[in-house]
Amino acid sequence: MRKRKAALRKWLQVHISQQRYMSYVILIALSFFYLFPIYSMINTSLKTAEELAYGPLQPAGKLYLGAYSEAFQRIRKPFINSAIMAISATILSSVIGAMTGYILSRYRFRGSSVLFFFIIIGFYVAPQSILIPLVRFMGMLGIYNTYFALILTHTAYGIPITTLLFRNYFDPIPSSLVESAQIDGCSVMGVFTRIMLPLSLPAFAVVGIFQFTNIWNDYLYGLTLTQGVASQPVTVAVANLKGTTVAAWNVHMAGAFMSSIPVLVIYLFFLRLIIKGLLLGSVKE
Amino acid sequence: MAFLTPALVLVVTFVYVFLGWSGWLSLTDWKGLGGSAEFVGFKNYIKMFTNDRIFIKSLKNTLVLSGIFIGVTVPLGLFNAILLDLGLKARRLFRMIYLIPLSFSFVVSATMWLWMYAPESGAINSLLRIIGLGSLTQPWITSSSQSILSLAIIYIWQFSGFATLVYYAGIASVPQQLLEAALVDGASTFRKYVSVVIPLQRPATITTVVLLLMYSLRVFDLVWLTTGGGPGYSSQILATYMWRVTFNRNQFAYGSAIGILMFFLSMAIIIPFLAIVRRRGEA
Repeated sequence: MRKRKAALRKWLQVHISQQRYMSYVILIALSFFYLFPIYSMINTSLKTAEELAYGPLQPAGKLYLGAYSEAFQRIRKPFINSAIMAISATILSSVIGAMTGYILSRYRFRGSSVLFFFIIIGFYVAPQSILIPLVRFMGMLGIYNTYFALILTHTAYGIPITTLLFRNYFDPIPSSLVESAQIDGCSVMGVFTRIMLPLSLPAFAVVGIFQFTNIWNDYLYGLTLTQGVASQPVTVAVANLKGTTVAAWNVHMAGAFMSSIPVLVIYLFFLRLIIKGLLLGSVKE
Repeated sequence: MAFLTPALVLVVTFVYVFLGWSGWLSLTDWKGLGGSAEFVGFKNYIKMFTNDRIFIKSLKNTLVLSGIFIGVTVPLGLFNAILLDLGLKARRLFRMIYLIPLSFSFVVSATMWLWMYAPESGAINSLLRIIGLGSLTQPWITSSSQSILSLAIIYIWQFSGFATLVYYAGIASVPQQLLEAALVDGASTFRKYVSVVIPLQRPATITTVVLLLMYSLRVFDLVWLTTGGGPGYSSQILATYMWRVTFNRNQFAYGSAIGILMFFLSMAIIIPFLAIVRRRGEA
């Protein structure tokens, strides 16, 4: 009996460690699938034009940054445009979303849930459905081909999701907190700025990061609303690096990698906030 | 109420006024700046379904691409999430690795994958040749029979980390008593997942499928910058066809009609979803 028990335990140990071993094998194989294209991009970006001819798998010989300096020349201005555009639109859409989400969470007036639905539907409308009027509208406002057009566009289309995220965030905050402040003579604005805003700083971090990464990575609005490096975002400039010269893959990759750095850094250092944003925006509606 | 004004003004203008504007344009024959716009009724929509083979092809491609993409991403995401849930030490590292592709813009992923797929000098075919599987090299996106599949692989690469994340959260929310009960009954790890955990993942599955469908319907950049809809029309999808019709051929009215059709498609997916989520308890 005891012998059998020991045998069972041994079998279990082997079995469990086998399972763990197999899991790691699969996880590493999948990681190869996820990481190899990224490795390939970085590797190619470090090659000289001569090294490119040795084939894509050959590791770059020495740390050659020529491709980076060439790509940098061409995407410097668009990179700055993207930074201005993404930061402004992130701030604007987050602040407006916080105000709207706050009202829709605290004040249940007639039609407030219809209004909420009416706003968040905007998140699910494909850009293609509104693209032509958008271009015309920016022309009418006289800001077509400026980054103001992009700031306005990203702010407007960011509001549905920021409202949703903030409303979900404010909902569990007890209303007794608000009532006692109102008794102390706080206005709607006062309650919002003195109680809700300080409480919602973590939410601003989540929403801000969510918005910034989405806006930074946009290409379609940049492509339709801007022309030329003076106003175009970095995604459009990187796409234009392709095909200027046949052998310039190292420059193209260097530009692509540089354009990814801001969001990549956010993913590496604030992954927890990214995960929170992705889940808040998807699971809870 | 003044608090709601900025949101209302912007959302009403940019979503609802623009949708109405697009809808009106789609009923005209407007051909772009300077041209006149005559009301033509549903002519553009009738043309789409009766007299435009490329449109039908684009619609079909969009559905096939979404089907492959979601058919692989959802099970893969569940599988990854279970692997991460097994309690391995390095699970955080792997979770990060799986999410990293999501951080890249489609412009950057298009660049990476063009390089991966290039038939002669591409990384995939070179890798196959080096490990002695030269016979398995493929033309990938340069072939009209493989372009959709190749694009689907890029989508899967980029979004499976997202599916993993949603399932990972779904698995973490399985009540502890249920897992303990299964353990007491002597269920193996395999049984625990098959009969306890997976049946409880319906909400996570619905969320994942709906959001992935929404993305696959609207993604433009990834296809535009890799195949451009080609070779021929083999990978033309609604999003790229709408662009081509509008901005390359100046058929603004027809482009609007495709855009409006895409709007109805996305609402057909999203409104039932919002209704389900609302019934679930409007969390």
